[in-house]
Amino acid sequence: MGSSFFNRDQTVAPPGYNRFLVPPAALAVHLSIGQVYAFSTFKLPLTKIIGITHSAPSDWSGSEVGWAFSIAIAILGLSAAVFGRWVERAGPRLSMFVAALCFGSGFIVSAIGIHLHQIWILYLGYGVLGGCGLGIGYISPVSTLIKWFPDRPGMATGMAIMGFGGGALIAAPLSVMLMDHFKTAVSNGVLESFVTMGVIYFLYMMIGVIFVRVPASDWKPDGWTAADKPRSLVTSANVAVDLAWRTPQFWLLWVVLCMNVTAGIGVLGQASPMIQEVFAGRVTPAAAAGFVGLLSLFNMGGRFVWATISDYLGRRNTYLVFFLAGIVLYSAVPSLGHSGSIPLFVAAFAIILSMYGGGFATIPAYLRDVFGSMNVGAIHGRLLTAWSVAGVLGPQLVDSIRQSQIDHGVPKAEAYSITMYVMCGLLLLGFLCDVAMRPVNPRYHFRPAKPA
Amino acid sequence: MKIKLVLLWLAVGLTLGWGVFKTLENALKLFA
Repeated sequence: MGSSFFNRDQTVAPPGYNRFLVPPAALAVHLSIGQVYAFSTFKLPLTKIIGITHSAPSDWSGSEVGWAFSIAIAILGLSAAVFGRWVERAGPRLSMFVAALCFGSGFIVSAIGIHLHQIWILYLGYGVLGGCGLGIGYISPVSTLIKWFPDRPGMATGMAIMGFGGGALIAAPLSVMLMDHFKTAVSNGVLESFVTMGVIYFLYMMIGVIFVRVPASDWKPDGWTAADKPRSLVTSANVAVDLAWRTPQFWLLWVVLCMNVTAGIGVLGQASPMIQEVFAGRVTPAAAAGFVGLLSLFNMGGRFVWATISDYLGRRNTYLVFFLAGIVLYSAVPSLGHSGSIPLFVAAFAIILSMYGGGFATIPAYLRDVFGSMNVGAIHGRLLTAWSVAGVLGPQLVDSIRQSQIDHGVPKAEAYSITMYVMCGLLLLGFLCDVAMRPVNPRYHFRPAKPA
Repeated sequence: MKIKLVLLWLAVGLTLGWGVFKTLENALKLFA
């Protein structure tokens, strides 16, 4: 594989290339990096590396191990923001390859950290290297898909980003299977599982590297022409990434994404204890794990379904639905808990989580509508810092409000009610920002330099 | 091209399908 293989020009599709080869290539990358959502399956075993069946005094603590996940998510947002422009320049093939290299080697370096029992090597491997693989891998196929599907950008990016949600569904049972397979009297199988997963994910991501193509600059789908009268927020102009983040529209969308993610991620992290406490004695830990799995399914499905719907409904309207329906559902949750109806409670959260996933998947197409497709990958990368902030804000908010309620003598089953109303407030803020969206001032539009 | 398309979709579809099946297996315990 020479350097020319990775050259952007070498990835331009020949005439007649079937554009439906590109979404599975993108999915191969997103299904792999989505593993990060299943990191918790390794959390307990990583605290028993020395004790094997129990945590020895010299074993890592749960909170020490938890930092590997937090670093990975923080580096995801940072690397997407920092490397966004490079990803645009280098093209999807080279950036997917770098993502595969970082993500795969992140597991191998982590395995060395487990072998030497040095937590900083785990942070470096899974957190920093793996985090760079996450950030670069997440944004690498986005602008390519938007260029291949100008007629259905929501559906195309929704399909790829659905993979990120689906990655956990694959990684969780895969991790358990591998640890069971490698378990011996002197090892709990985590080290060997990390090495195996590093190799599997690298090879699986290479499917994307091999098959991804960019369309020729003048390519259009057969029979498709841009709408004469596009929706009010859809532009035919382009805004460069360095100007985009100086516009109010960028920051309005930043808040829109941040509020949508904060509301969803706070619940996702607390889903298992929440359903067990609200329906005390009626929901076992195994059933609660089933509830979390069900939410993950809706999180994944919502990414494809809502992003596809946004192609018809418009991006702003889709987010208005997320925020309004979210407010109604969150405010209904305390009553649903009191009613004792598990199916209604589960249904409410399933819809909420579908809209959480839908928010992630619809944002690239929203950015394309507002800023054009020229730098959409790099702009998306910078917007993902909203995810990093929400990743800290959401769980902290839910945890601290719940704890303060319990400290004030509120029964555990009731302690989530105030949290739900706070979530409604966040969604209202997101709603107002979405309503305030207007087309970008033409002074920010990109104008190619005229020849002298 | 068509064979490539089918194989590629099968590769990602079967992987994802396996994950969905395993998750549903667990989720059903909620209503058991």
